[in-house]
Amino acid sequence: MAQELFYGDIEVGDTMPEQVKGPLQKSQHVMYAGASGDFNPLHTDDDFAKAVGMKDGVIAHGMLVMGFVGQAITDWIPRKYLKKFGVRFSGMTKPGNTISITGTVVDKRVENSENIISCKVEARDERGDVKVTGHFEAALPSRGNVQK
Amino acid sequence: MADKGKVGREYPPITWEVERGKIREFAKAIGDLNPIYHDKEAAVKEGYKDCPVPPTFLTVPMMWSDKMSAVINDLKINFMMVLHGEEEYEYYRQIYPGDVITGTLSVADIEEKETKSGSRMDMITLEVLYKNRKGENVAKAKTLMVERK
Repeated sequence: MAQELFYGDIEVGDTMPEQVKGPLQKSQHVMYAGASGDFNPLHTDDDFAKAVGMKDGVIAHGMLVMGFVGQAITDWIPRKYLKKFGVRFSGMTKPGNTISITGTVVDKRVENSENIISCKVEARDERGDVKVTGHFEAALPSRGNVQK
Repeated sequence: MADKGKVGREYPPITWEVERGKIREFAKAIGDLNPIYHDKEAAVKEGYKDCPVPPTFLTVPMMWSDKMSAVINDLKINFMMVLHGEEEYEYYRQIYPGDVITGTLSVADIEEKETKSGSRMDMITLEVLYKNRKGENVAKAKTLMVERK
């Protein structure tokens, strides 16, 4: 889905196309639990979640939200060019939330003969509350030198 | 409270075969319908040998092997009080269906911190290095867990 992208096409300050995910359904927590193997009932069992202090019940896996951010990145930058990707989980995501992922290029440099771009990314819900902040780096080809 | 005596400890590696169906299932659970994750032909067209894995896929071997929960127990961390603080991946090589990877988890750091409100917490940093059958590094995952006290 991501178009081929060249180092020369990217400038500091460029923005990643916004990705909108949701509204989140509890059934997606169940799917993600099964796929990832993270069966912590905090994400799938309202009674359990309430018993440990979540008054509205289950919350989403942080890693699911990181997965959304990963999708936003690899819809823009081909997966094969991704070198590093990290996030900090700063807010809980709940069923019904709609998550918007945005990103900005903050640096570009040639390092060990690789064309590196550094970006910051962020995921917020429909009220603007930050769920995840993060960063990624990708090594992009120069025009006429596409990595296979 | 996390056992600080275990900083530097390395656990026996897990071995994991990457299955095509699990890649598709994982991408679908995220709602990521990028064809490279479920259609080999589409992936090859975009320059991959086969279907690659989504960027967060390496959580799968850790969780499904129960390695993460075993380590949490070994470190005497109270599971009920743990929050996932940060996660970071470094990617060295693509991972494809049929690859057999080993993941070696080590305890990089355990640090006690105090919040502004005066409550204490342990910050536990775990690292997992993944290698392929040739012994080449494939990826590294770094997890920060926060244990509230």
